[in-house]
Parts: sequence; structure tokens; C-alpha cells
Amino acid sequence: MHWRVDNSPEDRMNADQELVRRVQAGDKKAFDLLIMKYQQRIIHVITGFVHDPVEAMDVAQEAFIKAYRALPGFRGDSAFYTWLYRIAINTSKNYLTAASRRPPVTDVDAMDATIYYDAPELKEFETPENSLMSDELQQAIHDAIQDLPEDTATAIKLREFDGLSYEEIAQAMDCPIGTVRSRIFRAREAIDKQVKAVMGGEEQQ
Amino acid sequence: MTAKQHELLSAFVDGELNSQELDELLSLMSTDDNAKADYQRYQLSSDVLKGYTNRSQPVDLTARISTALADEPVHQLAEQQTRKASVISLPDWFWKQTAGLAAAASIGALAVVGVFNQPQTTATPELAQVEQVQTQTAVAASPNRWTVGEQEVEDRLNNYLVDHNEYAGASGLFSYARVVSYGEE
Repeated sequence: MHWRVDNSPEDRMNADQELVRRVQAGDKKAFDLLIMKYQQRIIHVITGFVHDPVEAMDVAQEAFIKAYRALPGFRGDSAFYTWLYRIAINTSKNYLTAASRRPPVTDVDAMDATIYYDAPELKEFETPENSLMSDELQQAIHDAIQDLPEDTATAIKLREFDGLSYEEIAQAMDCPIGTVRSRIFRAREAIDKQVKAVMGGEEQQ
Repeated sequence: MTAKQHELLSAFVDGELNSQELDELLSLMSTDDNAKADYQRYQLSSDVLKGYTNRSQPVDLTARISTALADEPVHQLAEQQTRKASVISLPDWFWKQTAGLAAAASIGALAVVGVFNQPQTTATPELAQVEQVQTQTAVAASPNRWTVGEQEVEDRLNNYLVDHNEYAGASGLFSYARVVSYGEE
């Protein structure tokens, strides 16, 4: 069955690439979106090297600033995140060297570094309170997915766990891309209610 | 915020926006702090599901980095470079085929020009006379045949010539036989 494509593949673009192009063209606001999108991952990577939370924030900030300055030279040969990750690693190592501390001997793959946060080489600055909140957050999100209608739950799982694009999910679920988009959005809304509760942001709009 | 705007935030988490929607998103984010907060939570949920988060309080570095970058110059020259790059960034197969066609066309043109111009491009009157004599000798008996006196050698040479002509014709090369017999006209 062939569905009408609401947002054709030619029309859609790589959002990161487009944001990078806009920053290169002088739009600083576009860089804010890249910060918002990747800051948690970058902080996570940096904490594998710099264990003090305050220092890690400083190094993350420095990494983003370096990335901004180097952006005119970024030609998109690799994904933006891979490029940013490399800058974060180098900034962390330089920071440790400057502080006369020994950087880790081996590098960690970008995906491994961000996914396996129990990896021994990735020490983290966790307090009991933070750890408890992180566990609660994960539990709340998974509970929210459990309570979703089947179609909505399937769409968000295919997206988040399997990494499928909207187009691929539409094919897998035999429905239009617009339906996939709205199902994923509804799933996020339901999840967000739980997240807000855990984070203490009870304010409902 | 409207449901459509929230849907926009959700689609951005997944990188599934077109250029116009990205414009809308940038406009929304620059004017609405609620949009920023909502997006951050959407992104956090996505990061948690993918296992990308820390076991620490989620932090937002956007404001402090933006402040730190306030005095940085904006990148402007890159626009021209990226546009220029996008104009010439055609796929490899296009350049390969174009180069192949150009080479084939050049060889064909050279061959045609060479055939039609050769009698006129003879360097000196002496050479022209020698060529004329040789041509008359070579094609005296019949066109596209060698005439060298000894029948056995002549037949063998003519067989070579015919074979060469057939293979050259099949492979698209210019026929040597036609070149040899041009002066017969």
C-alpha cells in the first residue's frame, strides 16, 4: 500500500546540517538549538574524564565555544555530533593536562561513551540524590510508555529504541508519516507529564 | 503554546523537520521560554530512553554559553562558501560520465578533423608528391587493398587489414582501412 507522503524525503533535511549551515551563515540562535540538543550527551562524555561536576560544566562550555569558533571549517564530512564529540574529548584531555592530571590512555567510542554509562572508564559525578532522581526518571518514562495505546507505544519504541526514521516507521506500521509524527508527539506528551512530576515541575499548561 | 507547536518540538527531537518548520522552530524558541523548557524535557526523555543521560541533575548550559559567545563574531563568509560548495558538489558518477563523454567526443572530433584535413595539411610540396605516388601505388588495384607485387604477402596483408577493419569497427575505433584508402577519392 502506498501512502501519501506529507513531508517528502526530498523536502526533509538533516536538521543538524541545516542548523550548522545557518550558524555558518551568521545565525547564532541556531547554535543554541545545537547546544540544547547535545549538551546532556556532551556533559556525559566529559564526566568520563573530569569528575568534578563544576569543572565538567566549565569544560563542556569551553568545548561548545571551541566548536562555535571552529564551525566555519566544518564541512559535514562526518555527523555534527561526532565532530562535537571529538572536540569535547580533546578539550577534556587538554584540561586534565593543564591541571597536571593524567588523561585516560584509551579513547572511548562516541556511541559507547554516551550509551554505556556504567562503563568503568566513565566515572560520573553522582550523588545519592541525583542517582535516585535519575532512577525515578527512567522508571517514570518507562511506566508512561507502558500505559500508552499500542500504536502510540509502538511508534515511540521504534523511534527511540530502534532509531528508525519517521518514514521507516510509517512503512513498518503501514500508515502515513503524518500519523507517525502525531503518534510520537502524543507519546512524548504523555511521557512529559511524568517527567514534569519527577522533576518537581508540577505546573501543567 | 499550541499542540502544533509542541508537535514541532517533538519532530525536532527526532531531526524530522523541513526547512520551513525549522524557521518556525527558531522563531518560537527565540520568543517563548516555555517552548525552550518543553523542548529540553522532550530531549531529556529521549536521551534517557537512549541511555544518553548522566546520573546527575539535568543541566542547561545554553544561557551561559550564549552569554560567553555574545562577543564572538558571527560567521558570515561561510554562507558564500557553502552555497558555492553546494553548486559544485555533484555526484561522482556525474563527473565520471561527463569526463568519459568528453574524452570520447574529443577523440572522435580529432579523427574526423584529421581525415578531412590531412591532404591539405601536407607540410611541403615534396612530401605531397611522395604521398601522392604512394597512394596511387597502394590503391591502384582496388580500394581497401594492399598491392605489393608478391601475391602471398599481398593476400596476407589484406587479410590483416580486413580483420583489423572488422575488429576496429566493432570496438568503435576509427577504421584504419578507411584512413589508408582516403587518397583514393
